[in-house]
Amino acid sequence: MKPYQLTIADAAGKIRARELSPVELVQSALDRIEAVDGKLHAFVLVTGERALEAAQLAEKEIADGRYRGPLHGIPIGIKDLYDVAGLPTTSSSQVRQDFLAAQDSACVSRLTDAGAIIVGKTHTHEFAYGVITPTTRNPWKIDHIPGGSSGGSGAAVASGECLMGMGSDTGGSIRVPASLCGTVGLKPTYGRVSRHGVTSLCWSLDHVGPLTRDVRDAAMVLNAIAGFDPRDDATARLPVPDYTEALDEGVRGRTVGVPSNFFFDDIDPAVEEAVRTAVEQLESQGVSVREVQIPYADQMLALEYGLVVPEATSYHQAMLRERGEHYTDEVRTFLEAGELVLATSYLRVLRIRTLVKRAFREMFEDIDAIVCPTVPATAARVGQESFTFPSGAQTSVTEAYVRHSAPANLTGLPALTVPCGFDATGLPVGLQIIGRPFDEPTVLRLGHAYESATDWSSRRPDL
Amino acid sequence: MRPPLGDDAFDQLLTYARLDLTAERKQGAAGGFAAVLALLDSLESVELGETPPATAFDASWE
Repeated sequence: MKPYQLTIADAAGKIRARELSPVELVQSALDRIEAVDGKLHAFVLVTGERALEAAQLAEKEIADGRYRGPLHGIPIGIKDLYDVAGLPTTSSSQVRQDFLAAQDSACVSRLTDAGAIIVGKTHTHEFAYGVITPTTRNPWKIDHIPGGSSGGSGAAVASGECLMGMGSDTGGSIRVPASLCGTVGLKPTYGRVSRHGVTSLCWSLDHVGPLTRDVRDAAMVLNAIAGFDPRDDATARLPVPDYTEALDEGVRGRTVGVPSNFFFDDIDPAVEEAVRTAVEQLESQGVSVREVQIPYADQMLALEYGLVVPEATSYHQAMLRERGEHYTDEVRTFLEAGELVLATSYLRVLRIRTLVKRAFREMFEDIDAIVCPTVPATAARVGQESFTFPSGAQTSVTEAYVRHSAPANLTGLPALTVPCGFDATGLPVGLQIIGRPFDEPTVLRLGHAYESATDWSSRRPDL
Repeated sequence: MRPPLGDDAFDQLLTYARLDLTAERKQGAAGGFAAVLALLDSLESVELGETPPATAFDASWE
């Protein structure tokens, strides 16, 4: 196995034991980028020289006995919405081509303090306003999309260009690419991780989190990035546990809810089969399974767009007026539409969000988590506009992916996607685990228990 | 349901929102607005009663 193929946990073990140097590991990732990124286009910018300098410093620190922890010397990719001091934050848009970050975003600061090494900035759907990432391709099938908006991070992690990629999730933008590219993706609870220094799409729905090769790696990254930050008013003043601590304690006695509506209404049969088999796997480990009804199912998509559209326009208002012609047509159209939404319509959405929160709390009274498909279909072909499901329903690719993601964005609940199989064409399927607020430990434990009993997360695309 | 906007009314709305669009862009904006409006209108049937919005102002300084 080459260094770039390791998980963070495995690489960290070797680095700590001085069996692998950060320089060797970072060089391996950079070589991998050189070998495959011409096909994938996962990176906006590769910071090879800067990364190797950081790796040499890490090597020296570790040799001097100043090992910082499991992220020390680990090559990572940062979605190009996050500020990294001295580097451009283009948000994959012509509008921001000249924006140079003066300071690190909160997550970048915490990750580099923990010793992680940035090998580059990964592509996003323009300003994270979409779930396709048209710049980038899926490593499992190069003529398919990686999903988005964190599509660069999804493709990069799946293909071994870095061991972890940071993403952001407003309507599925961590979970969608993670599911489509066959990686783990964690959207933590709203308020668990600071978004300071990350270009906003929608303040009330934006979350940030990692895409990784396995669940333990996601827990390790969450350990580094979680916590209160006075610069992000949404962050919670709650203690941060060690998210790796209880991973191996099993899931016997836990109860999960499987939705009887919404998540299985319009779905590719191959996805449904993989997810239902995954639920059986958890059941075989002592998990009790109950049927649940997703409340406000018919309103989910309207609520998601009802928040995103006006909030995104508010963020972009000045740029839209000054350089609207630099946006892609798709994003510009949504931004223009947002100028026309009435304030009372926006407030109606926020009031219904209160009802949705109450209803989810009630639904969670006797379950620990919901398990369901991350998305209803595997990666669409490049240029594909819609899916036709067995029910006859035709749904746009974007709507299909956002629909399954919206409940965890609207409720702010922690949501994890874990690979749970492949369809007949070899494209990955994801299992979504949604937990109670700030109960990432249970979500991660369920994901780790499932992952450990299967080999899906260890499979790699043949590029 | 609210009545559909005529072309003149839509032009006035765009002006009011300070959107100076070409004819081609107007068409795109009209389509996008109609789609968003349809979604928002679908929420009108939800009974809200005294439900407050899911936002809270935090007056603390720390």
